[in-house]
This record gives sequence, structure tokens and C-alpha cells, in this order.
Amino acid sequence: MKKPDGKIVLLGDMNVGKTSLLQRYMERRFSDTVSTVGGAFYLKQWRSYNISIWDTAGREQFHGLGSMYCRGATAIILTYDVNHPQSLVELEDRFLSLTDTASTDCLFAIVGNKVDLRENGAAESQEKEGCSPGLAGAGCASPKVPKQVQLEDAVALYKKILKYKMLDEKDMPAAEQMCFETSAKSGHNVDLLFETLFDMVVPMILRQRAQGPPQTVDISNYKPPKRTKSGCCA
Amino acid sequence: MMSTKAFTLVSAVERELLMGDKERVNIECVECCGRNLYVGTSDCFICHFLLEEKTLPAGTATFTATKQLHRHLGFKKPVSELRAASALNRLLVLCDNSITLVNMLSLEPVPSGARIKGAMALALNENPVNGDPFCVEVCIISVKRRTIQVFMVYEDRVQIVREVSTPEQPLAVAVDGHFLCLALTTQYIILNYNTGVSQDLFPYCSEEKRPIVKRIGRQEFLLAGPGGLGMFATVAGISQRAPVHWSENVIGAAICFPYVIALDDEFITVHSMLDQQQKQTLPFKEGHILQDFEGRVIVATSKGVYILVPLPLEKQIQDLLASRRVEEALVLAKGARRNIPKEKFQVMYRRILQQAGFIQFAQLQFLEAKELFRSGQLDVRELISLYPFLLPTSSSFTRSHPPLHEYADLNQLTQGDQEKMAKCKRFLMSYLNEVRSTEVANGYKEDIDTALLKLYAEADHDSLLDLLVTENSCLLIDSAAWLEKHKKYFALGLLYHYNNQDAAAVELWVNIVNGAIHDSTRADLYEYVVDFLTYSSNQELVWKYADWVLQKSEEVGVQVFTKRPLDEQQKNSFNPDDVLTCLQKYPKALVKYLEHLVTDRGLQREEYHTHLAVLYLDEVLQHRPGASSKGAEVTETQAKLRHLLQKSDLYRVHFLMERVQRAGLPMESAILHGKLEEHEKALHILVHELKDFSAAEDYCLWRSEGRDPPYRQQLFHTLLAIYLSPGPSAPELAVAAVDLLNHHATEFDATQVLQLLPGTWSVQLLCPFLMGAMRDSIHTRRTTQVALGLAKSENLIYKYDKMKLKGSSIRLSDKKLCQVCQNPFCEPVFVRYPNGGLVHTHCATSRHTNPSSPSPGART
Repeated sequence: MKKPDGKIVLLGDMNVGKTSLLQRYMERRFSDTVSTVGGAFYLKQWRSYNISIWDTAGREQFHGLGSMYCRGATAIILTYDVNHPQSLVELEDRFLSLTDTASTDCLFAIVGNKVDLRENGAAESQEKEGCSPGLAGAGCASPKVPKQVQLEDAVALYKKILKYKMLDEKDMPAAEQMCFETSAKSGHNVDLLFETLFDMVVPMILRQRAQGPPQTVDISNYKPPKRTKSGCCA
Repeated sequence: MMSTKAFTLVSAVERELLMGDKERVNIECVECCGRNLYVGTSDCFICHFLLEEKTLPAGTATFTATKQLHRHLGFKKPVSELRAASALNRLLVLCDNSITLVNMLSLEPVPSGARIKGAMALALNENPVNGDPFCVEVCIISVKRRTIQVFMVYEDRVQIVREVSTPEQPLAVAVDGHFLCLALTTQYIILNYNTGVSQDLFPYCSEEKRPIVKRIGRQEFLLAGPGGLGMFATVAGISQRAPVHWSENVIGAAICFPYVIALDDEFITVHSMLDQQQKQTLPFKEGHILQDFEGRVIVATSKGVYILVPLPLEKQIQDLLASRRVEEALVLAKGARRNIPKEKFQVMYRRILQQAGFIQFAQLQFLEAKELFRSGQLDVRELISLYPFLLPTSSSFTRSHPPLHEYADLNQLTQGDQEKMAKCKRFLMSYLNEVRSTEVANGYKEDIDTALLKLYAEADHDSLLDLLVTENSCLLIDSAAWLEKHKKYFALGLLYHYNNQDAAAVELWVNIVNGAIHDSTRADLYEYVVDFLTYSSNQELVWKYADWVLQKSEEVGVQVFTKRPLDEQQKNSFNPDDVLTCLQKYPKALVKYLEHLVTDRGLQREEYHTHLAVLYLDEVLQHRPGASSKGAEVTETQAKLRHLLQKSDLYRVHFLMERVQRAGLPMESAILHGKLEEHEKALHILVHELKDFSAAEDYCLWRSEGRDPPYRQQLFHTLLAIYLSPGPSAPELAVAAVDLLNHHATEFDATQVLQLLPGTWSVQLLCPFLMGAMRDSIHTRRTTQVALGLAKSENLIYKYDKMKLKGSSIRLSDKKLCQVCQNPFCEPVFVRYPNGGLVHTHCATSRHTNPSSPSPGART
């Protein structure tokens, strides 16, 4: 098996379309996918580099695997559904901590998927959300207000992430560059998303190679996941 | 999903053989090492069997086990684990929390009684850091809470080397190098027992399910994860393969590359590590042990032992190919790369690629097929041979055996569907065109090019001609028959030409032009033939068809003689006399050819020049009566005639003069007079007969070309004299004279002219002439003065030199020696060189060069 030079991991709540995004990019098609079990990955040859792209399972059941998938990742794509604000909230609450194991200079992209449903499907999705008892209480005080995620919300999250990671905004790509709105169904922005990332990942691979084997990255200063683990099987 | 048959399940040890009639005894553990199979039972027995593998004619393997020994360990506890250490000839037996060493054959405990106490579970390090071959490294989960111990086990002693404590109670362990992979109570971790550094993998819940920790290769483990996942993890805590999806209640896992095998209550499932897909499911009830031992996978229920026999990889791949599962077959084949010797693998893999290519081809997936054929280095003839009649009859090709596909030919493959057939043909065309210039074609160029020619001809494809006019290896006999069949006669001609049969080629083309056979490939075929003959080095062929091309068109046809390549003209060219004889019947062609000889090739032979002039003349005369109607053409010929008469010096002037005069062509006679230096006659004709004064001037210029100025002056004076001579048209001529003088002032000797001119002419009238003459005269005077001045100064320089040389006196004494012979001067006679050197006169005559200085003129 060819050893990948870099790793990109897709994270996000279940049903936001991670598998569909990847399928759209790799296989140029869109079809109904079943809920991902565990994870899957593709190898993409970009220039002379092999980049592995991991599709993870969004289901709570597999949440514990996230840290391992993210270990040593060069880039992480945090995915939400533009029609479900809660999916953006989940990114911060649940998924951000998984990325602690990623490479220290890991890139983050925030992707709002399903923009194709934004206009016509707004009302419908609104209704559904209103009915869902689990989400109703969370933060939707008035169901009349169009509850869709705007790009600014993603940009705000991106900046929050940089702060959380204690990274300087100046050293990282601009938020505007790293926040995408996509549609796996129509293919809107999908190529842009992946190829922008690949182009950014290549220089990182070169840098990592110059520094030595990536296995030596961060075993020593590694502690945070303790926190997430306790939440799982308690 | 369609399933693959990767394994067959065969029985190894029947229950009767194992425990006879003891109903309640169960199998607790198994170990297999080479042909030795060990079974540990619940009643504290170890049984040793020898396995014998037999392959049935059908290709499936069977095993028979022969019981060797059985031995009771002397406890009342079940034997919980067995591990063979063949290098030590020892079996490690875990029973009642204690590991004892027994002889592998006698099953007797080692005399030393060495044992490891307080062990709950053990794992052998298959990738030990210690290089000692007579020692195995064993990790145990100690009965001490949260403790792992590492032992070195020798033939008859054990030695603890490390004890590490773990954050939680360990439940299962596997080891690779320094790395322990542990299932703790709530999570899996990697622990480096050398450094103590640990790395969390992922959480799981030990209360809900039994953990599985299985080393699958260097630095990689397989773990049972949440939701029935088989997770892969490296010692760095990274997953490099996607997980496989088992059932929730999986009990055990084993590896038999490229498969991951899992056991649950009801089934044995087989997943591929290459694509993570489930490949096979075997029903198997009440299984509780699944382990692999050096590639042999053993499953056991509590009563019997079974072996999962892998089907040979090639068989699996062929099965996949047979069910058109190309992708999977290729993945499987590629995955087998490291398990098969390189050469063998390459041969096998190439063949699989080729087979896969034909499967894609049959489904008209041409892009995929092409890639597979290319990477599989397919002998192109395999593909060509699918198409009826394409391979040359002389080809020695036979299809590979066993066949790469099941099709007799394209008709069978497409089941007569014409559209599909056409698609297949188009594909072959593009494919052959691509490969013909690559190394794929090496050795089969004839077969490929001939097949390509046939396809092109059949499809009426433009590239047919390109193929034939460029370097190709089309076989003549096969191709010719095919082209004839498809009425591609022009192309056939090209083929003949390529095979150095130009005569056949031209004959064919001539027949097409003549309409004897039909082929509309080229509308300009006649011109093509002319061109072909022009560049053909075969003179015989040109002569053969010379009449034909000339009869078609004299002007075009004559090109076979006039446009021949330059390099050929220089050596063995056609004899012009032969050509002229041939062209006698074709006047237009004759003129063209003579023009070619005279003008283009500049042949200096009187006959050609005279002949051409006569032909021009004839034509001029011929058109004369109807001069008004065909004016333009006549003047064109006439212009050519005049040009020839003027430029050429080779024709017979007198001969032509006679004819020209008889024909009454004044201009031409003037030119001829000019040639004879009869300028007065010529000018007379021009001035008096033709009254063409500019022609007269031009005549003067023409005839004086390249002559000295006096000659030129003479000519102009002659003309002037004619103008000024008294006659009936004197006033008109006077004007011409004035113009002549004014235009060519410098061509005259002004003093002479002034004497000739009538006194009545005003200065005004001759102003430009006079001014020109004056300016000329002044200019001459001034240049002469300059020359005079320069000459004087030059003279002065010489005088100065002479004075200097003469200036000083020379004293001749006894002390002065001749510079040549170094003797004193005896007489008062000497020679002095410009540099002052003195020599004897006789020395100077014998030596012409200056004795002591590099050059006689140099001054020192």
C-alpha cells in the first residue's frame, strides 16, 4: 500500500453530507449515501503527492474514533449543513476537540454544504427542525426567523478556532479563503474546496518532510482527549 | 453484494479423535506450528496432532490429523492458552495463571521447572527488539492490578526484563517491538514499554463487549471498535486503512492477507483489507476460537477444530474476472504483490490486466480497456485477431493459451450488432494508430500496419493515404488485395510506389484518369501523376508516359521535363535532344521546353536559341493577320522574342535577319542590326521607320551596356546626328534631338555637340543640356585639380625621402666591417642599405636581403 504524504479529514455532524462531498469530488457523481459506518478513505494523487482523504462517521456512536483519525492530519474539513444551524454549533461543541491530535500547523476549512436546499427547501427544513424535540430546545427561540447559517457565522467560527488553537490569524490563511459554501448535489464549489486545500497541503508536506518523519510530532505534549473520552462511555 | 469465494472450511480434528466419548470436555485453546497442532482442553489436557495436507483432484485441500500424544498437566483448571516457540522446541502453556514450558514433542515440562507465575494472558512478540534467536519475548497481563510484565524465555529458564503499570486494568495485549497494544477497561492504547510513553487510540466499552487486540503486521494492529468496527491502528496511533465493518458480537479476528477474517456466534466473515468490502460469509455456529498461525487460519468450536483453506489467489482473481468484477480482481491482484515473487507476480499481473482489458473491451469500455492493454503490455495481435481478416495471412500469430477471453471473434462478441462492430473498429483504428510508433509494436509492425490499412480502407478513412505516404510496414500482397477489394486504387498506387513498384502505380493511376477504373479519391489525379513523374528518377517510366501526359495537356505535361528536381538536372539528366524530338508533335510544349533550356538552365547552344527565336517568330507571324483580335497575346510572344533577341548572343543573326526582314518586323530588325553592330541602320529604322524615339534612346543604352564611355558617346552622337540630319521630318526630329540632349547631357561631348547644333537654337531651349555639360566640365576640372594636388604632394614626400638618404656622409675606415661577411672594406666601393648597414658590393649581390634588419625599408 502506498503511504500517503498528507492527510485530510472530514469532520461534522451526521447527515451534513461529508460522504456526498467526497463522492462528488472523487467519483463526479451524487447519489444517496447510507450513513457512514466507522470511516472510509480515498487516496488522491495531487501532482506527485498522495493525499489520503478520510471520511468519518458523524454518528455519536463513532465519535470516539475521531481523535485517532485526526492524528497527524495536515488539514481538517469541518462540515455543517447550511440549513441546520445546530450542525454548525456541533462543530464547535463536539468536533473541535477531536482535532487536538492533528498536526500542529493543521489547516482548517469550514464548509457549509447543501446550499442547493437553501432557497426552496428553507420552509420545509424549518418545519422539520421545529418538530424535532432534541433540537427545539437548543437555541431556536423563534421558529419564524429563517434559520439558516450565513457565511459570516462560519467565518466567526473559523476565527474562534484559531483563537482556540492559539494560532495567530496572520500566520494562517484568511477566513474568507477557508470558509466555503458547497453543494454536493450540484457540485457547486466542491472542486474549489478540495483543490484549494490540496494546493495548501503540498507546501506543508514539503515542510514536514524537511523536518523529519511525522510520527515524531506530538506524542509527548498529548493530553486533551481525556476530556472527550469520559463523555462517551460514562 | 456479490460474494467471492476466498476460503473453504475443512475439518481438521474430528470430535471423536479428540475426546472420544468424554461428553463434557471442551476445547479451550489451539496452537499450530508447522505441521504440529496442539489443543488445550477444559479438563487440563494438551493433545498433539500431526496435520497432513492433501490436495484433492478437484483442487481443494483436505487435512487429516493424526494424534501423537496427549498429556494431563496435573491441574483441575482448563488450559487457557498455548504458544509454540519452535526455536526453543518449547510449548508455552498457560494454565491456572501460570505459564509452564513443555517440550514440543514429548510434552514433558522442562526439567528446570522454569515457569512464569501470575499471568492472566500472554502474547509473544513476533517482532522482538532483542536479536537473540534462542530466546522469545513474552508479555503477560499480570494478576497484579494494572501491570504488564515482559519476560525473556529461554530453553529452560525465564527472566523478567520489564514491568510497566497501566492507567487502567488491561484486558488484552499484543506486542510489536517496544510497543504494547493494550485493551484497557475503557479504551485502547499504545504503550511503549521502553520509554513508558502511551498513546490513546480510542475509547470502547469493555462491559458491553470483549476487546480484540490483534497484531497484523509490522507496527500495525487490528482492534475491535464501537459499532462492530474492525479498526486498524499503527504504533503511532494513526489509522492507515479504513475500518472493516463486522457484526456487533464479534468474538475473534484473524488475518490471511489480503483478508481480515472475523468470527461471531453464527458466521465467519471475510473482509478485504484492500477495499474494506465484505467478500465472503461462511455459516459457522458455536465457534469460539479464531486464530491465524503463520498464514494458516484455524477456527474451533468447543468440540472440533477446522481449517479455513484459502483458495489460490489466482483462482480467486479468475473467479472475479469470470464474473466481470474487474476492479476487485485488479485490487486483489495488486494487493498480492508482496506475497508473490516479483517475476511470477509480473507475469500473473500482466495477464490479469490483459484479461481485464478484454472484459472492458467487450463492454465497449474502450478507454478503460486501452489503459489495461497498455499497462498489461498486451501483444496487440491478440486484439487484432478478434477482428476477422485483419491479420495478414502470413502472420505467425496464435492466441495465447489459456485464452485471455472467451470470444472467437468480433461477430460473436457483438452478436452481429453493426453499430457495436463499427465502434469496435473505430477503437482499434485509434488504438493501433497510437501504438504503431511505440515499442509495443516492436516485432509486429507488419501486422499492425496491415491491419490498420485494412481498417482505414474499409472505413474510407482519410488517414489511409497518410499511412501509405509515410513510413509504414504494410505487407504488399495482403494490403494490395484488400485495397483492390475496396476499390481504393489510388491508395493501391501509393502502396505500389512505397514498395518500389512505380510502374504498377502509374499504370493504375493512368487507368483511373482514363476512366478505365473508378476511384474519386483525387480530383487532380492527372496533375498528381505529372508531379509524380517529374520527381521520379525512373527515366524509362517518364518516357513511357510522356506522350500520355502531353496529350492530356501540353502545358502541364511538359512539366515532367521542365520541372525536374535540380539535383537530377546536374547529373544524368534527360538528353535535351531526345526530349526535343519527343516534343516535335507538341508545339506549345516544345516552346516551354526550349524556354526552360534557354532561360532556366541557361544552356549555351546555338540551336536551342535559334530554334526558340524561330518558334517565337512563327507564332508572332501566325497571329499577325488577326492582330487586332488577339493583340495582347501577340505582344506577349513578341515581347518574349525581343527579349530573347536582345539578351541572347547565341542565335544565328543572319538567318533570323533574313526572316525578320521578310516578315517586316522593324523593331526586331533593329535589334538584329544592333547585334551586328550596325547601329546606324538600327537607329535609322527606329527613328525613321518606327518614329519611336524612346526606343532609340533605349537602344543606345542597351548597346552601350558594359562598353567604355567613348563607345557610348559614339552611339549617342550617332543618334544625335540622325536627328539633326536634314530631311522631311526635320522639325519633329529636332524636338527629339533637344530632348535627347537635355535628358542625356552627360553622354555627349559638349564641344562637339555645340558645333553640330544649328545656330538658331536658343540657349533657353538647351538650358538643361548646357547646365549639365557645364557642371560636368567643372566637375572634371575640379577632380583633375585635386588629383594634381595629390600627385604633387606625393612627389614631395618622395623628394623628402631622397634628401634624407642623401643627407649624411659615410666614413669608411678599417674598423668598418661588411655586415654580411664581417670583413673590412678594401676598396672605396660599398652598398648602403636604407638602415645604414654597409656591405661589399659582391656581398649585396649574393644576398638580396638586408643582413641585420628584418626588412630593408625599416629605419632603426
